[in-house]
Amino acid sequence: MRKTKLAVALVAVSTLALSGCQGVFGGSDKSGSDGPITLGMAAPMSGSSSAIGPYMKNGAQLAIDEINAKGGVLGRKLKLNVQDDACDPKTASSAANKLVAAGVTMSIGGYCSSATLPTLSVFNKANIPMIIPAANSADLVSQHLPNVFLINGTGVQQAQSAVSWLTKQKATRVALVDDSTSYSTDITKRTKADITKAGGGMKTVLHESVNAGESDYSSNVHDIVSARPDFVYWTGYYQEGGLIIRQLRQAGYKGKIMVADGSVDGKLISVAGQSTAQGVYATMTETPDTMPGAGDWIASYKKKFGAEPGPYSPQSYDAVRVAAKAMKDAKSTDGKKIEAALMKIDGFPLFSGKLKFTADHTLTEGGFVILQVKGTKFTLADDLKN
Amino acid sequence: MTQIIWNGLFVGSFYALVALGYSMVYGIMKLLNFAHGDLYMLGAFIGFALLTSFSGFTATLSLVALLVVLLLSMVGTGLAGVAIERIAYRPLRSAPRLSLLITAVGASFALEYGMRIIAGPNPQVYPVRLGGSSVHVLGARIGVAQLVLIGVAIALMVTLNAMVMRSRQGRAMRAIALDPVAARLMGVDVNRVIAMAFFIGSALAGAAGVMAGSYYGSINFLMGFIIGLKAFTAAVIGGIGSFKGAMLGGVVLGLLESFGTHFLGGQWRDVFAFAFLILFLTVRPTGLLGERVTERV
Amino acid sequence: MTTTKTVQPPKPPAGGGGLGNAAKTVLRSRWIGPVGLFLGAIAPILIATPYAMNVMTSALIFVMLAVGLNIVVGQCGLLDLGYAAFFAVGAYTSGILATRLHWPLLATIPAVIVVTVLAGIVVGGPTLRLRSDYLAIVTLGFGEIIRVTANNLSITGGPEGIYGIPSLSVAGVDLSNSVVFYYVVLVIVAAAVLGANRLIRSRLGRAWRFIREDEDAAEAMGVHTYRVKMAAYIAGAVWGGLAGVLFGAQLSAISPASFTFLQSALVLMAVVLGGMGSTPGVVIGALFVTMLPEALRGLSDYRYFAFGALLIIVMVLRPQGLWPARTREPARTARRSATFDGEVRIR
Repeated sequence: MRKTKLAVALVAVSTLALSGCQGVFGGSDKSGSDGPITLGMAAPMSGSSSAIGPYMKNGAQLAIDEINAKGGVLGRKLKLNVQDDACDPKTASSAANKLVAAGVTMSIGGYCSSATLPTLSVFNKANIPMIIPAANSADLVSQHLPNVFLINGTGVQQAQSAVSWLTKQKATRVALVDDSTSYSTDITKRTKADITKAGGGMKTVLHESVNAGESDYSSNVHDIVSARPDFVYWTGYYQEGGLIIRQLRQAGYKGKIMVADGSVDGKLISVAGQSTAQGVYATMTETPDTMPGAGDWIASYKKKFGAEPGPYSPQSYDAVRVAAKAMKDAKSTDGKKIEAALMKIDGFPLFSGKLKFTADHTLTEGGFVILQVKGTKFTLADDLKN
Repeated sequence: MTQIIWNGLFVGSFYALVALGYSMVYGIMKLLNFAHGDLYMLGAFIGFALLTSFSGFTATLSLVALLVVLLLSMVGTGLAGVAIERIAYRPLRSAPRLSLLITAVGASFALEYGMRIIAGPNPQVYPVRLGGSSVHVLGARIGVAQLVLIGVAIALMVTLNAMVMRSRQGRAMRAIALDPVAARLMGVDVNRVIAMAFFIGSALAGAAGVMAGSYYGSINFLMGFIIGLKAFTAAVIGGIGSFKGAMLGGVVLGLLESFGTHFLGGQWRDVFAFAFLILFLTVRPTGLLGERVTERV
Repeated sequence: MTTTKTVQPPKPPAGGGGLGNAAKTVLRSRWIGPVGLFLGAIAPILIATPYAMNVMTSALIFVMLAVGLNIVVGQCGLLDLGYAAFFAVGAYTSGILATRLHWPLLATIPAVIVVTVLAGIVVGGPTLRLRSDYLAIVTLGFGEIIRVTANNLSITGGPEGIYGIPSLSVAGVDLSNSVVFYYVVLVIVAAAVLGANRLIRSRLGRAWRFIREDEDAAEAMGVHTYRVKMAAYIAGAVWGGLAGVLFGAQLSAISPASFTFLQSALVLMAVVLGGMGSTPGVVIGALFVTMLPEALRGLSDYRYFAFGALLIIVMVLRPQGLWPARTREPARTARRSATFDGEVRIR
């Protein structure tokens, strides 16, 4: 019996001890009406997606510094609070709760869809609007929570642009390859459905899933080559993407290759090898790299962080700007008023185009274009406007 | 078909190299060294650092330079393995066996995230890339670089096997595996031999890391995790503690995965490999070459 | 158990620090239970930020997992590297029933128990005749099979998993408020810990420890080892599955990402770190493993590096675990079992 009591006691004592640690676990710094306005961001800083977190953080920080230099929002400075979500649902949930406890006004994070899903209700209960810069699963908005807004194009939109480009290129036999994560399979499944719908001599000859985090994809590549496709569409991330492109070419694949936005990164080209990667297409929203006159943005990013911007830096930058705009329009930091203001935004310029939210709180225009690898960079190949 | 077999053999030889170290350490200490996969990662990064700093030479002397780098990285990872043993495992030798498992997981975290602090979370691209020409054998496309790498792997494994079977150190190792107390009574310096085993095992993992880096071209701080799991599986398939078994297990696992991918699709590959493993172990509970030990009462 | 005089475990060789005698007296006092429960109950009054509640609730759920695994590993000595499989089975069963068929979460519990018992039998059936590390790899394999299957089936929602799981509610009263939910979880987990302890002290529990200490002797003495091991497995599975229900209720969304090998390793870590076979030890271990990474959040990049280093340091200082089980072996055999390879024979 003692042991049991002890065990119960230990739970109690530890939770109590925990409650004492205000500094670590509580730390509520609910800002008054003149302190800085805090924006929260949950992003992967550890685990297998940890390369992305710093890019998102820097992108957001850049926007905050620019806004603060111009006097801030509603006469108050902006402040960024970043918490690691490790791309893990449980860690993400506690990260979100930590942000709520820290009194953030808005959330501008969210990278992995499966880790972002459990944070939705946390922020919703606390009446905190979320502008999600990267995660783009349709499941995020299918619950119709009033506080959830996506500013990255969705899988639906990306699949549509992929298929319209495939049609334009007169592809006939398409192989779809994903990495078994939600973001990636979402795009392949929708692309597959759209290809069936498009018809016209085009069909999916193979739908292959690989396991992220490995080095040798020769078995998968063998299957792809055996299916004799003339177009391979990879929807995972750049590291595996680079390896797969290289191994495809080594295995003698001569057809065309296209990658989705998670693979649009300079590293894709260096991993695949510059000569191997030439001509690879990508479905992507416009990036500073491809936009005329965005060189200044890249330059100021480089100056500030000493490194090139990466995936989702621009989106995170935009998320902050949208957040600031909504608070200005609402003239308030109240969640409900900000949400109303977000819905009224029309034509606010983002990297991906003019912002207007649909009733589902997603972008009206996904803003996807087709990029192509030329030299060491992705360049604009087609804007899909016609 | 031949292509599928060849793919399996090639991946399997990497598994075999890493599994060997796993099996060796297990044979001697009965320890599942979870940090072993991370030594593979460490080897890849040491090789990366060396190649980057020698980049002047590599342009001209690429193959020779690569071999030198391979050896240096092996020494580096070997020493790291010895250090881990000294810090995290030796103080716990008389503790319950599973306590060592915890320090092994701890060492694994420390290596992974230590490397993340040093090298950053982004994947790094190897400055030297093996690749190039390939030959066709019975319908399979076989890269020359692949042949070289398999050759190196086989040479390393054969050398190790000869060492363990013939040399004095090797005999001492086997003696400790059989009965540590008796071995100590017979004058075997247990600490020294265990350090030796860690050195060799880690060096092999390091070699595999450099080879993977130079062949596949991209390395990152978490690359050791999956291969560590696979190597563990391979070691068990072969009969854990058996050297030949580890090599065989690596190749078998490689083939299983290759065929699983082909017949069931990539997403069901691991299910296939593990289901096969479970069925196999219920039929042959000590692995392919594991000795049927009557457990001590 | 309460009255027998006990022998201290062998002193760790590397100068491990024991608790002072005074502290020991305090911690073994019979009042500590009720007082502790009282403290646990008033904790949310002292601090009720959603974040603290969330972390404490997660920690409690993890305690339940660790206590369940402790039955399998700590009591029966079966090394299980795929415990997250049962956690997943429980979470998915209740999640699917609650979202697809709109059962109230409470009503899914009997179904979860049935399914996890079945899962325990399916996993245990072919594997329990294996010994030690072969059992470890097979359980690891099952863990991966469950996760990959969940990732690929449409009924489990694929890689995105299941979302919109309703929170617990009793007779129409919503218990989703973080403080209320914490209390509910506290009560359930306390009951689970109590239940596990009851099992451990029963005839069955003695048979488990007998098998752990010496399987052949147990068999010779007439213990039906296969059946008894199976019972340990099933008990572990049910505990894990019920923890899964709480997990789903807490997060409202579950996905395969939560049931990786790492999760299994973390639960095992909690058990070993706390002290295998010792219920209070395992509880401490679980709290340690869940709360330390949260406490280290401030270190950002150094977080997991520090976590790894701390694991090594703690184990080197206390090789038997933070709170080892009080062994009742005579001192002589205790010393013998601490020979060079010193294994607590895990089979």
